Amino acid sequence: MMNVLDIRGLTKKFDDFVAVDNISLTIREGEIFGFLGANGAGKSTTINMVSSLLRPTSGEIRILDKDIMKQSRFAKLNLGIVPQDLAIYEDMTAYENVSFFAGLYGLRGSQLKERTLEALEFVGLSDKAKSFPKNFSGGMKRRLNIACAIAHKPKLIIMDEPTVGIDPQSRNYILTSVRKLNESGCTIIYTSHYMEEVEEICSRIAIVDHGKIIAEGTKEQLKSTITDVKNIRIELKSAIGAEGEKLKSIPGVRTVHQEENIIHVHSDAAVDNLNRILKQLMEDDKEIRSVEEQEPNLETVFLTLTGRNLRD
Amino acid sequence: MNILSIALKEIKQDFRDRRTLLFLLVFPIVLMLILGLALTNAFSSDVSIGDLKVVVKDATGGGELSQAFTTFTKEVGKTGVVFESLQPGENGREEVENNRYTDYVELTNQGISVYGSSRDPIGSNIVQGMLASFTDKYNAAAAVARIEPAKTEMVFAGGKQDYIKELSVDPDRTPGSIDYYALAMTVMVAMWAAMPAGGLIQREIGRGTAVRLVTAPVRKSEIFIGKILGGIVTNLLCVIVIILFSKYVFKAYWGSHMGIVLVVLVSEVVMAMSLGLAGGYLLKGAASRGIISLVVQLMSFFGGAYFPIGNDSGGGFMGFLVNLSPIRWANRGLTQVIYGNDVSAAWPVVGINIGFAALFLGASMIMMRRREGL
Repeated sequence: MMNVLDIRGLTKKFDDFVAVDNISLTIREGEIFGFLGANGAGKSTTINMVSSLLRPTSGEIRILDKDIMKQSRFAKLNLGIVPQDLAIYEDMTAYENVSFFAGLYGLRGSQLKERTLEALEFVGLSDKAKSFPKNFSGGMKRRLNIACAIAHKPKLIIMDEPTVGIDPQSRNYILTSVRKLNESGCTIIYTSHYMEEVEEICSRIAIVDHGKIIAEGTKEQLKSTITDVKNIRIELKSAIGAEGEKLKSIPGVRTVHQEENIIHVHSDAAVDNLNRILKQLMEDDKEIRSVEEQEPNLETVFLTLTGRNLRD
Repeated sequence: MNILSIALKEIKQDFRDRRTLLFLLVFPIVLMLILGLALTNAFSSDVSIGDLKVVVKDATGGGELSQAFTTFTKEVGKTGVVFESLQPGENGREEVENNRYTDYVELTNQGISVYGSSRDPIGSNIVQGMLASFTDKYNAAAAVARIEPAKTEMVFAGGKQDYIKELSVDPDRTPGSIDYYALAMTVMVAMWAAMPAGGLIQREIGRGTAVRLVTAPVRKSEIFIGKILGGIVTNLLCVIVIILFSKYVFKAYWGSHMGIVLVVLVSEVVMAMSLGLAGGYLLKGAASRGIISLVVQLMSFFGGAYFPIGNDSGGGFMGFLVNLSPIRWANRGLTQVIYGNDVSAAWPVVGINIGFAALFLGASMIMMRRREGL
């Protein structure tokens, strides 16, 4: 299987700040590659360099074995971008939007029309071809954002948070579309703050932190690296306040993450501290509904490796 | 092809922006009507070519320039323009300020200086157009005299006929306030092209679409040229609509050289677009539009878009400001083309506009190339 993207020793500096620090990465044909990192980790800077939006300070990026700096046109022709922020014209119809951007990739005449309609059909907007995006829902705009990136049939598609801020129905539609695009031969780089999405659709994942790739592999490979951590999920009857912080002082506890009345405690697997955790909660008059020790998931992996939550 | 696609997209978007379009078309037409009617008396609407009186002070002591000028006054005198000598004790400038003469001409061995009336800018412009043609011819003769003195007479003799052709002013035409504002508003709208141009690239960044443009296999220069081309076409169409409206609805006079008038206006639009674009690059962010709008409004004011202002040959700070306005250059040149039939007056304006446009575009190109993204 050929390499669709090859990154070697990629570095980007903004004055003295090193945003991306000597990253190397290979993405093979047919993969859906998850790119995970908290805000400011260097994920967007890396993606922007692959998309030619930023110039690398040093290093090399090759798309389909061609250096993007030397053969920029070839690289761009084979690349589709779904930016995190919507990149569509509100004052042009859905058809005009897709057609204009596809036209920039050299499509003309009947081929342009055919591909435009095909892309709109793919994202389920053929019946809205003549409508203006200003009248679309958030989910429809996101789908149009995807259509604008795929009409020229790129080999590699970069999707940066394509499901942010949309309803579950549109989200499912987009995830299904991503799988269908992948089945049709596209290689996809996918970033998301929704860990479950990445876990659901990505075949391989890289975790970026402080400008470096700190882990890379399949979901299973990443999870298997976490053998020294246990993940305890505690459901309470009522929401917890500042008392949750007290749990951090219990020996072995690494991180505590709260979501309303649910607490996720990541702790050293070797330390038997469950009783002390529960005792602390009961001393704070918290009524416990359930306690569960979970298998490590990507969230656990991410927290363990970076020490912070993906959405921090 | 990409340039054309981007230009067409720009035109489509511009014409869908009804608010801006309304502003570009309705505002100048309404202003033309209001100012044209309200300030009718402020213009010498009854001035005909026969009413133009010029006072002349000849301090050359009867040299070559004096003889050439006498020949010139005889020829021009046939069209009805009256040249009178400045009497001892009279002050030429005061005579003009007191509205007894349209212009005051002073001949010295160093050359010709003209002081025009701010109360009758159109009449003054006509006289200045005639004098400009005379000066060109005289300078040519002087240059020939330095090299082959024997042929000097030929230049004057040959020039006489050309000269009369250039002075074929329509003697029945009486330029009024509507005529003035039709021209002033049209030139002002051409200059307004600077305002949207200031946000040409910023708007793409704001809408997030700059990412798609930059990641597409399109050169930055293609994006740049396509966007400018689109803007020029939109603004030029607005200018043409205003010309046609003023010509057929307000019956404003546009002379018999419409093609030349359009060439000047195209150059004005190109220069304005370039100015706006360079301003947008230099003054990044939201403030850029406000500053560019302010500069354009000041240019409009000092250029005489709202009412004739100052005197560009009178010197002083106001004269300096007036001469800085591209609207003033265009107004002056076009007045000579329309009312003086002096087509040659268009080319310096076109040259200056295109020169500045090249300068601003070059600066924008350099700034764009240095920048990552758009």
